[in-house]
Amino acid sequence: MTETPPDLTGLFGTTALREPGTLADLGERLNVSLAAAGAAGAWDWDIEAARLYFDPRLAALYGIDAEKAAQGLPTDTFFAAIDPSDAPRIRIAVAGMLHGAEVFLKSYRLRAADRSVRWVEAHGRCHYDLNERPVRFSGILIDVTARQRIEERLRIAQSAGGVGTFEHVPGFGTVAVSEQFCRLLGLHPAGVLPVATVNRTVNEGQPPLFDGVTNPEHGVDYAEICIRRADDGVQRWIALRGEAVRDIEGGGVRHVGVIYDITESRHTQEQLRELNETLEARVEEEIASRKEAEDALRQAQKMEAVGQLTGGIAHDFNNLLTVIIGNIDMATRRLAEDADARVGRALGNALKSSERAASLTQRLLAFSRRQPLDPKKVNLGRLVDGMNDLLTRTLGERISLRTRIAPDLWRVEVDANQLENAILNLVVNARDAMDGTGSLTVAATNERVTAPSAHSSMQIGDYVAISISDTGGGMDEATIARAFDPFFTTKEVGKGTGLGLSMVYGFVHQSGGEVEIRSTVGEGTTIRILLPRLHGSHVEGEDQVAQEAKQGRLSETILVVEDDEDVRNYAVEGLRELGYAVLEARDPAHAMDVLRHSGKAIALVLTDVIMPGMTGRELAETARVFSPGLRILYMSGYPRDVIVRDGRLEPGVDLLPKPFTYQALAAKVREMLDD
Amino acid sequence: MGGIELTELEQDALTEVVNIGVSRAAAALRKMVGKQVLLSVPAVEIVTRERAATLLGERESDELVAVRQSFAGAFSGRAMLIFPEDNSLDLVRAVTGDELSPEEVVEMEEEALSETGNVILNGCLATMANMLKRPLTMSIPVVFRGGGSDLFNPDPEAGEDGLVLFLYINFTVLERNLRGYIAMMMDMPSLATLKDLLGQFIAEVVGEAPQ
Repeated sequence: MTETPPDLTGLFGTTALREPGTLADLGERLNVSLAAAGAAGAWDWDIEAARLYFDPRLAALYGIDAEKAAQGLPTDTFFAAIDPSDAPRIRIAVAGMLHGAEVFLKSYRLRAADRSVRWVEAHGRCHYDLNERPVRFSGILIDVTARQRIEERLRIAQSAGGVGTFEHVPGFGTVAVSEQFCRLLGLHPAGVLPVATVNRTVNEGQPPLFDGVTNPEHGVDYAEICIRRADDGVQRWIALRGEAVRDIEGGGVRHVGVIYDITESRHTQEQLRELNETLEARVEEEIASRKEAEDALRQAQKMEAVGQLTGGIAHDFNNLLTVIIGNIDMATRRLAEDADARVGRALGNALKSSERAASLTQRLLAFSRRQPLDPKKVNLGRLVDGMNDLLTRTLGERISLRTRIAPDLWRVEVDANQLENAILNLVVNARDAMDGTGSLTVAATNERVTAPSAHSSMQIGDYVAISISDTGGGMDEATIARAFDPFFTTKEVGKGTGLGLSMVYGFVHQSGGEVEIRSTVGEGTTIRILLPRLHGSHVEGEDQVAQEAKQGRLSETILVVEDDEDVRNYAVEGLRELGYAVLEARDPAHAMDVLRHSGKAIALVLTDVIMPGMTGRELAETARVFSPGLRILYMSGYPRDVIVRDGRLEPGVDLLPKPFTYQALAAKVREMLDD
Repeated sequence: MGGIELTELEQDALTEVVNIGVSRAAAALRKMVGKQVLLSVPAVEIVTRERAATLLGERESDELVAVRQSFAGAFSGRAMLIFPEDNSLDLVRAVTGDELSPEEVVEMEEEALSETGNVILNGCLATMANMLKRPLTMSIPVVFRGGGSDLFNPDPEAGEDGLVLFLYINFTVLERNLRGYIAMMMDMPSLATLKDLLGQFIAEVVGEAPQ
């Protein structure tokens, strides 16, 4: 309540008031004026004479006869109707006035003669003589009961509802605010604050609470603003709402509105939003991992399809090669010593090409993981050491070879021949990538995989890693992605088959391991083969020894079962040449007939695996019912899973891989019969 | 707040005492400048130095100008009359008359301020001493500028305990409304003495010992 007091000098002209005699004359005029000004009454305190005059309205309020009041009352009458709880401070204020204070502005309760209690606001001024001594203290009372009630309600509404009010004329440097407004921002209570002080509570990056720039005509926009309370520094969210009121001079507007704290609801909103956001992220993650799985599945299916195709081709191809090699073999052996040397060379060339074709078929099968592996416990260190000569020769003089074998390397169980093949393949690739100069490192280390990786199917566990690192040109992402695809090659046409890496991939996976490529373009490539550690037995079951083919001659009877006539003929011819008595059958049913009715003691059955009607294995089982202890030797380039379990030959199964040479046939048969 | 608190009535009494003082000062200013000058003090608070500084910092975005005087007697300390910088020029313009050029106003500002401050602070302190029936002596006024915290830096020699009587003061000079503050920094014993004296004053006026 900082209203300026009404200008009393106009109403209570001092000269007139100093002459009590003229007061009555003025009484009527004054009453009219005061009533018009909304005053509940007026007083005039003659300090020198110590007399107090009330106008009729104030006299009525006090319950004093108007006549008496006009003639003067004891000054203490002033306090008679003031509520006892307000009286002391009013006494002090009046004492101040009597001692020289100039301005009197107090509100207090007045107990009126009709017993009602009124809130009044007293506006008074002191008047001085020429010596600056106070002589009169006069003023008016305004009844503010209704206003007081409204203010009380407003105050309670603000404090109970946590709502602070403001009034701001756009462009002004100060803003009128309520106590609650200050409390919400942590400011000391004040009626007017600089806009800068209010805006200083706003957090950086947030719009100011009061913006002097925007068009004032626009009104007050709803805003949610993050502030830091001035007193305790706590961060809160404040909402601001209001209206533009057009009632000030010059048609301008006031912005009148409220602020209130919305921190709690913001928190709730944020939590909800966070939940939603993480939900989205979780769904995205799930979709991504699903897509990864789908991609992996698609890749696996592709490999599987290619594998089936190549496996099928390889099967037929092996039969053809068996016949070709067998016949070249035979022709070579029968070649007269004085024959034209060119014929011998031609046969030699034909045999070499056939062997290359056979190894190509082997690789196809390896890639399609359909070659039967014959895993043994292997010391990888010794295996790599053993390849040193071969690798040095392969690399040539300008590429240096380093091998780093970790001590105490764990054991693995792997097909050693295939592993050597794989390493050789990788070394050849590395050599070609280095364009003739550089260095190549073959390392073998123990490796512990402790967490599953999204990018590989590698299980947690112990592995032995063989890595082949070159200093060549490296590969980009796209090339790495396709490196294991069959027939994918970066080499010039005719220089690579595109089967090297896919064979390594097939073989390693078939062995329960994993192949990894790490490469940086321009820096080189490291390919790592990880093979699962062999736990348990430390017995040196050891190491494969390459079979030496050896001739053998005995007159035992051997039954050859093969549906491919050319292959059958080749095998039969070969065995006969070796001195064996040979019976033949074109399919398993025929073979059973021969077993039952030939009347001869059959020492060995040499049988194909995949045949119409019955597999070689089923034949073996049937035959053994008839003749227990019968020796069975399978011959196959692609046995499917008839005699193979989990990629390995079943225990007790003997296999002569197609295509086979005469020597290999001789050696394997001899070995079986001698066993 | 440091053990010394004024009751509501004591605050009212202090407000009135200061009101009498500023009214005397206004009368003196009226004589000095020959114009209508009205001064009043609506409220008083006892606050710590820190709170006084933040109060000023929150309410005034401008730099502040202060006239400072030390006083000694039954109670002693330092008194300051404080204005926002822009108000101080208005005050100078008001008391010197509008015929001065802006350069002259700036030139005279220091002198006019220190004179005005001296009148007002003297009025207040002398009235307090008079009302409370104790003599006070006052030093020469000094004008200085700064932010809220600069003004309330403790004076190491005075050994003040950091409490401030903080009074709001309204000036009306030729219909121009200016706002300012009076701050009196006192130590505990001085405040205790003041409290006693205010109690006596209240007893006299109200007629019985107040609670």
